Amino acid sequence: MMSFSDFTTILPLVVLTAWACVLLLVDLLIPRNRKGITALFSALGLALTLGLTIAQLGRQGSGFNDMVVLDGFSVFVNALLLVSGLLGVALAYGYVKRMGLERGEYYTLLLFSVAGMMLMAQAADLIVVFLALELLSIPLYILAAFARPKVESEEAGLKYFLLGAFSAGFVVYGIALVYGATGTTALSGIVAAIPSSSTLMLTIGAALILVGLGFKIAAVPFHMWTPDVYQGAPSAVTAFMAAGAKVAGFSALLRIFATAFPSLGSSMSDVLWALAALTMIVGNLIAISQSDIKRLLAYSSIAHAGYILMAFVPFGNPDVRAVSVAAGLFYLVSYAITNFGAWGVVIALEKAEGRGLALDDYAGLGRKYPALAAAMTIFMLSLIGLPPTLGLVGKFYLFRAVIAGGYVGLAVIGVLTSLISAYYYLRVVVIMYMREGEPTTTSEPYLNMTTAFAALVTVIVSLVPAPLFAWASSAVLKLF
Amino acid sequence: MTISQIIFLVVAGFTLASALMVVTTRNLIHAALFLVATLFGVAVVYAILQAGFLAVVQVVIYIGAIAILFIFAVMLTRRDMRDRGPQMNRMQWIGALLALLIFIGLSFLLSSWDGYSAVAQEMPADFDTMGRLGEALVSPDAYLLPFEVASVLLLAALVGAVYVAYTRR
Repeated sequence: MMSFSDFTTILPLVVLTAWACVLLLVDLLIPRNRKGITALFSALGLALTLGLTIAQLGRQGSGFNDMVVLDGFSVFVNALLLVSGLLGVALAYGYVKRMGLERGEYYTLLLFSVAGMMLMAQAADLIVVFLALELLSIPLYILAAFARPKVESEEAGLKYFLLGAFSAGFVVYGIALVYGATGTTALSGIVAAIPSSSTLMLTIGAALILVGLGFKIAAVPFHMWTPDVYQGAPSAVTAFMAAGAKVAGFSALLRIFATAFPSLGSSMSDVLWALAALTMIVGNLIAISQSDIKRLLAYSSIAHAGYILMAFVPFGNPDVRAVSVAAGLFYLVSYAITNFGAWGVVIALEKAEGRGLALDDYAGLGRKYPALAAAMTIFMLSLIGLPPTLGLVGKFYLFRAVIAGGYVGLAVIGVLTSLISAYYYLRVVVIMYMREGEPTTTSEPYLNMTTAFAALVTVIVSLVPAPLFAWASSAVLKLF
Repeated sequence: MTISQIIFLVVAGFTLASALMVVTTRNLIHAALFLVATLFGVAVVYAILQAGFLAVVQVVIYIGAIAILFIFAVMLTRRDMRDRGPQMNRMQWIGALLALLIFIGLSFLLSSWDGYSAVAQEMPADFDTMGRLGEALVSPDAYLLPFEVASVLLLAALVGAVYVAYTRR
């Protein structure tokens, strides 16, 4: 029988999904030129869900016969996802109006996507993982193509859809092989069945799941779609996609591998090592030659997937698992917040018809709009990992966890690629302050608020990181 | 070799051949009809596996609705029923090689699996497949949550499809 505790395990998710469905109907009553009201309603739904999620702090449990779990990890990730959703709505509010994309469906699809991401963070059954993956992806495919009939946006949507469907095939095949090896799709059941199951089949199944989710988090060599999709999609969508999809993908990877496949640690860690190193190197090297800010941030996002993957390499080692999961979560927060801030600045400078996106358009920003340029400088420093920003603290915890896991070489690669990345991030700063130009920006209250919020959090939390890291450290995975 | 094995081999060969024809034939209507044949072959495989309900669903939904919609869509949107573009690209031999390697790898993997040689048990005659399936879909201890999530997923896809396809005037 369904008990009330089944329901309370996923209460925030249920509320958000119901809110999205109702919003679809409410949107019909809102006149076409005032869709900002829909945005406010969707933000209200996200805020309410965030409140319910915070209320779940410290609770543990599982529901629907171990298909979903509630633990410190899921609460932490869900809170981050909901904040990402709120920032995504705030960035979109003025942007979609300015670009002539203001439609109620935008916000409903965004809510559905957030719901999928939250389910991903709570899923403890491979079938639920797959459905959550689709529920978060399908709205993102459509949001990427939201500026249709603009060709770049249509291309972005189609490319994301085709490669997303392809990667979903990998996930399903991986799930099928894991099911073949263990006879179950529940993570708890897999743990119990592993001693008596075929290791080869299980390893290949786990590897295919890794490949499929690797597409979602844009890890090299599964990153081919990222620059085109990030560039073609409307900027507000890209900002949300870069943060949300990455957080959700990593949370699913962490949960699946750390709870169900720790026994594969010895064979998978080397693969993950290579994947993380490759992603950091390729992402940062290609980013150097970019002259378009959206493509630059796309390659930066690939490179950061590599850094987060570092936290994931020692998943099979129970001694350092807790500290590396905490470091990974902290880095996700740092990346998500910085990412939203940087995209906020991009949106402030972007004009219709895709103008205002070249790096040269940032010339003279430092003199003409000092506050905006200062904010952008903070975000660039944070993406490099320089003080006084969150990026530095995030990288510090990350490298410390990786070294504790015994992967000094990987940490060295991380530091070296961060040095390489300084070249192209600082180039943005140099262009802003050292070159003459007459940039024009758009000032919108919610956009400014988002950028200011991100800049403040990036600096202030870097000065007192202990509480956030303590929360991340207490966000442990429920093990079976 | 038992009768059911022979039937399976014939059906599997038929399904694969039609699937190959779907992608190689240049006439779009023929491709759609071969798709119907492929889906029917899959339905027969379900029947051989004693999943009668799934076989019926496969015929009713995939052939009865989706494939027919394909044919309608082709007929209503295309004036020219033939595909004239090139069917292969530069990567054809690399692709073929990769496919062959994956096939060999998977065959090896599956033959090493202990379920490979197991024989499925006969289901009792009074086994209530449909009832069990229905209960599994809506029981909170089974697949209620995935079932509901799938419905939300379809709603999101529906909204998106309408948005993408709808032409504003």
